[in-house]
Amino acid sequence: MKYARVYAEDVKVGDELPPLAKGPIQQIQLTRYAGASGDFNPIHQDDEFAKAAGMGGVFAHGMLSMGFVAQALTDWAGAGRVRKIGVRFAALVRLEDTVTCRGRVLATSSKDDLHLVELEIWAENGKGEKVVTGKATVALPSRE
Amino acid sequence: MPIQINKGVLGKEFPPFAVTVERGKIKEFARAIGDLNPLYLDDRVGAASEWGDLIAPPTFAITFRDEGADTNALLRELGTDISRVLHGEQEFELHRPIRPGETFLCRSRVLDVYERTGKSGPMAFVVRETAVTDKANEIVATARHITVVRL
Repeated sequence: MKYARVYAEDVKVGDELPPLAKGPIQQIQLTRYAGASGDFNPIHQDDEFAKAAGMGGVFAHGMLSMGFVAQALTDWAGAGRVRKIGVRFAALVRLEDTVTCRGRVLATSSKDDLHLVELEIWAENGKGEKVVTGKATVALPSRE
Repeated sequence: MPIQINKGVLGKEFPPFAVTVERGKIKEFARAIGDLNPLYLDDRVGAASEWGDLIAPPTFAITFRDEGADTNALLRELGTDISRVLHGEQEFELHRPIRPGETFLCRSRVLDVYERTGKSGPMAFVVRETAVTDKANEIVATARHITVVRL
């Protein structure tokens, strides 16, 4: 039931998203994301460049991690339901890191036919350190 | 020796640019993330959905760029280069899903420029906003992007 539909009536404050585990991050995924996104910053591709820039080596595009967090959200709420998603890139994601995306319902509101759910969202690396933190709002359908 | 950032970019508006959403780019973007949601990848599932076609993942608007523009121009104007910049924050407000074949107009401007000193030293933050509108001039998405420059 990966894409089971969630309805506004089923959601309450404190509910957690099913965690989504991504990675381990491979260089080929960063190369692929560069092509798909158009972000060809060599800091995500070229270890020598990244070291010379003082970053200690290649790291993942923040937007790739944001894409992972967005996936955790849409796996739960459904594609096309996200109204707002905002994140801070709190720490670098390195090659071989795993990224586990999580979320928790902060608030729900209903006005007329619009049922909104506000969540805190975040992603952790394998050491449990937060690499992405943020908030999102999704609009859910009603059972009525 | 820290570099100086040119705060004169505050309020700068970039020339508007048009983008047309390609079906294959939506699929390529979803696959690059490893998000295999059929609403992003399967034309038949999209056609049968409430949107009548595939839709793009929530972060897809990050691909909207002015292909004719020099991507390093803003960095030069700021007085820095790509080796010093990091992506600090990103936000999307999404008013409706994005579908293949749509053409949008994107308007970007610099909303704020400020400096702070963090754990790793002095940094400048450049806040850009891009408004994405459709042919009916309705707002489709608003993206806010914070670039961090290590000074």
